[in-house]
Amino acid sequence: MNLRIVGVDFLYSIRSWSRSRGTVFWSLLFPVMLILLFGAIFSGMGDSKYTIYVQDLDNTDMSQSLVTILNKTGILTIKNVSTNQPITDYIKENNIKNLIVIPKGYENDVTNSFVDPDMKVNLTYYYDPTETQTNQILRSVISSVLEGLNMQLTQGKTIIGLSEQSTITENFGFIDFFIPGMIGFTIMQQSIYGSIERNTKFRKDGILRKLLTTPITRSEWILAKMLFMLFLAFISTSVAIGVGVLAFGIKVNINLLTIVIVIATSFLFSGIGMIIGRFVKEEETADMAAGAISFPMMFLAGTFFAVESMPAIIQIISRALPLFYVNEGLRNAMIYMNQTEALINGGIVLIFAAIFFIAGVILTKWKED
Amino acid sequence: MIEQRFKCPTCHEISTFYGDPGETQVVTCTHCNTKGRIIITGEKPGNDVAIEVSHLKKVYDDLIAVNDISFRVKKGEIFAFLGPNGAGKTTTVEMIESIRTPTEGAIKLLGTDTKTGFNQVKERISILPQEFHSFERFTVRETLTYFSKLYKKRANIDEILEAMDLRTHEKKLYKNLSGGLKQRVGVALSLVNDPEIVFLDEPTTGLDPKARREVWQVIANLRNKGKTVFLTTHYMEEAEHLADHIAIIHKGKIIAEGTLQELLTKYGEKTTLYIKNCHSEDAKLVLEEKGFEVNSSGNSDLMVKIDYKEKVLEVLSELRHECIEYDGVDIRGSNLEEVFLRLTGARLTEEEEP
Repeated sequence: MNLRIVGVDFLYSIRSWSRSRGTVFWSLLFPVMLILLFGAIFSGMGDSKYTIYVQDLDNTDMSQSLVTILNKTGILTIKNVSTNQPITDYIKENNIKNLIVIPKGYENDVTNSFVDPDMKVNLTYYYDPTETQTNQILRSVISSVLEGLNMQLTQGKTIIGLSEQSTITENFGFIDFFIPGMIGFTIMQQSIYGSIERNTKFRKDGILRKLLTTPITRSEWILAKMLFMLFLAFISTSVAIGVGVLAFGIKVNINLLTIVIVIATSFLFSGIGMIIGRFVKEEETADMAAGAISFPMMFLAGTFFAVESMPAIIQIISRALPLFYVNEGLRNAMIYMNQTEALINGGIVLIFAAIFFIAGVILTKWKED
Repeated sequence: MIEQRFKCPTCHEISTFYGDPGETQVVTCTHCNTKGRIIITGEKPGNDVAIEVSHLKKVYDDLIAVNDISFRVKKGEIFAFLGPNGAGKTTTVEMIESIRTPTEGAIKLLGTDTKTGFNQVKERISILPQEFHSFERFTVRETLTYFSKLYKKRANIDEILEAMDLRTHEKKLYKNLSGGLKQRVGVALSLVNDPEIVFLDEPTTGLDPKARREVWQVIANLRNKGKTVFLTTHYMEEAEHLADHIAIIHKGKIIAEGTLQELLTKYGEKTTLYIKNCHSEDAKLVLEEKGFEVNSSGNSDLMVKIDYKEKVLEVLSELRHECIEYDGVDIRGSNLEEVFLRLTGARLTEEEEP
């Protein structure tokens, strides 16, 4: 390995990149524009969510009847939580976004309210404040159900109320959700399209054939290009975080896990780009193939909107996409500080990266058949 | 490996074969396909050989792209590898450059077997691939510097810019250059490591005549610098203008090889003397009586075949002696196009890709 040659290629790659207004725009300014645009539109709003967890601590006919009514709304999918679970631990461990706790004594309190006009009972609604749109919908549905019950039981007097509690200790907004998604998306775009340019355009232009006959080896060249892609990835990450901090005041934690996920993401999508470049020879077709892969992934992997707001079948697909784990990993590592989840997401990204990058390197050929 | 020429006992044409002294080979006549056994005689060549190719073959599924070809290129010469599109030129040159792997055969560059020692010889060669386009956002100077820095041995970039007449364009981005300038930069790139052998694959394809001539001048200068040039082309004028040695490839086989003069002598037509607007009916008879082969065209021109140009005066003096009038004369010699036509029955420029 000749590191001097690797350095030469790396520096010249940066120089070439900096001269392309289009590339700089798509690499840096486009994500900034999206952050500003989406941040302005969706800050303070959230996504719809239809799955709700219920912990019925009362476990009586009346509490079960309440769960049945919630289920019958047709909007909510009820998932029951065991009564043995300490609820805050359960929320944290399972990354729960919405949960209702029916308190012990619920039936008793409701029954007593018929004779004691001051008697009230409160359900506790745990919600994710970053998903304000979802919260509004769920709050509205739950309130409607409770109003109906109150009307039925007492002709309008409120005996069953709703107290709210955030699932996370800090108050996160849409922009906190969005910035890590944009970082993942930007690295994906840069890496896939960068790889494709190197493997289709350079092949068509004879540059790979020329390089094959020079002393630079294929591994030195790939290393130089990966250093360049990492350089771009860190520049993009810094810009996205900078905009988030300066324009929206988000609080970001840069830690080792964040850096590892950014590096793994760059390797992962460069590998995917290499694989596309190997099988799709025409530059334009390769671009289309890259678009066909990255565009749906952008929407399905929770870049702009939470995956939980999507239909169940789509959620299954989302969880098969590498970008989903990149986005979730970055959010958990950088914003939510949920390092356990981030570690799991990061591990999955690393596995994806190892598979795709190794496959890409093996499939990348300079020689012609 | 040495070159050996053999006369075919059936068609009496001479074919060239390569092998080591004392080696017995079963060969096929390139003209009539008669098979026979030959023994290579003579001594091994000295170190004046830049490229040695022996029994090179490339097969793709059911297509034989290159079919058992052998040749040698001497140091310091321009070797033109001439053939129509799809004849196997680029496949051959890319096997020599180790871009493609041969199905069979051996290649030596500067005495090094490329199968095992290509990495050792990389510093001493340079290539300009077919339809090459360099990095668009590098300037001319940066392009040269980038490739130069990949080598241990580096030529002076300023000298290359000067020699290639690129000094005034050195700060322009590659993407903004004309086609001719891009090709000139491509050739200049081939010099950044001061190579001993330069491979140029179709360096003038797609260029206008002026740009083509500029590139020819650059290539001719390479020979002046002592470089060995392996030039792949389908332009016969290019080979005629530049080459010291020409090999014609057709359907994957070398069908003729030699200097331009050797090829014209061996395969070309006689020189034709065109006598324009000669209305005399006696003219044809007079010349035929003197032993000339005369044809007439529909527009009263006479076409007289002559062995060599000195015969022109003899023809004209006969006409003058008989007081036969005409408007003027034109002499047309044989060329590679005719050689190719004669060898293959097809025109070089009209052949399609297989």
